[in-house]
Amino acid sequence: MAIAVKTQNLPPIKLIRNVPKEEYYVPGHRTCAGCGPALQYKLVAKAAGPNTIFIGPTGCMYVANASYLCTPYTVPWMHAQITNGGAIASGIEAAYKVLLRKGKRTGELPNIIVMAGDGGTVDIGLQAMSAMMYRAHDVLFICYDNEAYTNTGIQTSPTTPYGANTTFTPPGSAIPEGKTLFPKDAPQLVIGGHPAVKYVATASVAYPVDLINKVRKGLNQQGPAFLHIHCPCPKGWKFDEAKTIEIARLAIETGMWNMYEWEDGVYRYQFRPKKYKPVREYMKLQGRFAHLTEAHIAKQQAFVDAKLKVHGIPVEVPAPAPRTQQ
Amino acid sequence: MARELMLSGCAAAAQAAKLAQVEVICSYPIRPYSAIMMELAKMVANGELDAEFIHGEGEHAQLSVVLGAAAAGARALTGSSGVGVTYAFETYSPIAGGRIPLQMMIADRALDPPGDFGSEHTDAMSTRDQGWLLGWAETPQEIFDNSLINYRVGEDHRVLLPQMVCQDGYFVSHIPGKVVIPDQSQVDEFLPPYELPHPLDPKRPVSHGPQIRPDQGTVMDMQRAQAMLDAPAVIAEVIDEYNRTFGRNYSPFVEEYMTDDAEIGLFIMGAHTMTARHAVRHLREQGVKIGLVKLRFVRPWPTQEVAQALSKFKAVGVVETSTSYGGAMRGGNLLHEVRASLYEVAQRPLTTSFMAGLGGEMVPLKDFYYMADILSKAVKDGKTKKTVYWVGFEAED
Ligand SMILES: Cc1ncc(C[n+]2csc(CCOP(=O)(O)OP(=O)(O)O)c2C)c(N)n1
Ligand code: SF4
Ligand SMILES: [Mg+2]
Repeated sequence: MAIAVKTQNLPPIKLIRNVPKEEYYVPGHRTCAGCGPALQYKLVAKAAGPNTIFIGPTGCMYVANASYLCTPYTVPWMHAQITNGGAIASGIEAAYKVLLRKGKRTGELPNIIVMAGDGGTVDIGLQAMSAMMYRAHDVLFICYDNEAYTNTGIQTSPTTPYGANTTFTPPGSAIPEGKTLFPKDAPQLVIGGHPAVKYVATASVAYPVDLINKVRKGLNQQGPAFLHIHCPCPKGWKFDEAKTIEIARLAIETGMWNMYEWEDGVYRYQFRPKKYKPVREYMKLQGRFAHLTEAHIAKQQAFVDAKLKVHGIPVEVPAPAPRTQQ
Repeated sequence: MARELMLSGCAAAAQAAKLAQVEVICSYPIRPYSAIMMELAKMVANGELDAEFIHGEGEHAQLSVVLGAAAAGARALTGSSGVGVTYAFETYSPIAGGRIPLQMMIADRALDPPGDFGSEHTDAMSTRDQGWLLGWAETPQEIFDNSLINYRVGEDHRVLLPQMVCQDGYFVSHIPGKVVIPDQSQVDEFLPPYELPHPLDPKRPVSHGPQIRPDQGTVMDMQRAQAMLDAPAVIAEVIDEYNRTFGRNYSPFVEEYMTDDAEIGLFIMGAHTMTARHAVRHLREQGVKIGLVKLRFVRPWPTQEVAQALSKFKAVGVVETSTSYGGAMRGGNLLHEVRASLYEVAQRPLTTSFMAGLGGEMVPLKDFYYMADILSKAVKDGKTKKTVYWVGFEAED
């Protein structure tokens, strides 16, 4: 019985100077200096504009933003549990459909955006996110990925990279690399099993125009869309807070992060380097990897190389083979 | 014109939801409540009810979907049974604390282990301190009426609380009884459209649920407590109007049966009240001075009404259909509240509790006769032997 009520077509922008001046995520919040997630929030809000409702599952973008009854959102925003961002968004969307149909609200279906951390997306929030995608709700689900449970004091999450030192994966003599597992692939999880989803993309705070355009594309979709946004976290990853953008860019240049869109089954890649830099260059700037040996770094390099092959991206950097010595 | 139908409790609940014109429904299968959702799914499929029917991926999601919907400004309904009720537990406090007046229809089921389809009040009773209106019905008619009454009370801006509208699994949920269904126009007059003071609407931006400082927490808890304190007056007012509009005869909180000059009394809620009433009548015919008090709301707990109704007895037996392992009374939950209600009464009756109807057991007439015997003995002895009897599972006293 659901009827299409969204006709909006948010136009793409070409240059950084075309970014809307209006702010819908305003200053005064309590995120750390150099916070990647806060930066992407600002850009996402600009891209979406005033006819928007944000759903904020528990995480840094809840706790450090919506503190002491003050919130930085000038559009409607609702807290969700870390568990249920997708479900609350589903309910809001369903309510708007029926209220618009019955004439109890007027205008367009608002942009409904879940702004979830990695924990709130692919770990404890996975079920609600997946069900929302499956049920075809017209919602943009954004995973701002800071690669850890940061709000609770930097614990490993399924997107934390191999070898990271987190407070739940401290390196020690028995477990020298810290985190031993390789991360879950959030966008591939969505692409792989949700026939209603037509648009999935990855983005990065390093490329704001691209990020804004991907948000708009996702919002223009009828139905669910998913954005996975790479958001360096100076506190959790232990780097100089002036280097957020540099780190984000290095992730792409080393293949630690891949920029792509998946639209109706077709992949398009962005910002693909001619020649990938070794992952070491990305890792050496971050304290969370400071304890790793060459062998550990080689293991990470091999993982990245294999992943780039899966994406059909030619690997042009000679990857050092993992050493056998442990 | 009102219609009279033979409906199960689940079918009656669905009829109430239809007349309340719920706008967003979220389902997940679990017996026995699922029969409510099956009815509603048909109504939506046939175009009888214009609502979004969402298949939640679990009870936690069910509650979350209706929370989002109700926060956005739609009348929203969900429901569950047994372990489904407890699976959703995280959501109960945010819903009540957010003062989002959605409705959850419960058909009780025992919690695991082991898997048991039978009815037991422990599922919904375990949520009783989260800030939801909570009460039980005895018949399909009462569940129909309670649903409409609860929407009206919960959505009243003096209250703004979610509602758990409970019926015993099978005994009420699946046994048809006579239900008088009023006209839509009559219901519309009684139940105004759902209106939240601050819905999520980009035309009037608001934030729902920001973080607070610890000292702000107490204030919010006090406000939730105050809503519960304010609810009884609204309940009384609404039930009075309901009785007049629909020709019913409910007491808001406790209903008394044959309590005049009674010496012993049974205190009970839900389906087994019906058998208890028969038992009381039979015992009266044999000269036993017994009466019955039925509880309609567990939250808000009607302290005064309970104290008043029970202080006329010499001994009261509280029929417990829920468990409180290790609790002060060693049995269920109700005796705690009953004793607390009677604390200020000068002439307190003796009180004890009877664990009955657990795991979906029937509570036959003979069980109520057994309870009456124990209460009569207590009156004679001037004391009760213990605070709990597991009816039918203990050696005769
Ligand atoms: C049910 C539940 N379990 C645990 C927590 C504790 N908790 C609060 S914030 C948070 C971290 C969230 O991590 P993520 O989603 O990655 O967001 P981030 O903090 O990294 O921005 C956790 C685990 C919670 N709020 N609720
Ligand atoms: S811990 Fe990381 S994500 Fe959280 S506010 Fe600080 S920089 Fe941002
Ligand atoms: Mg995180």
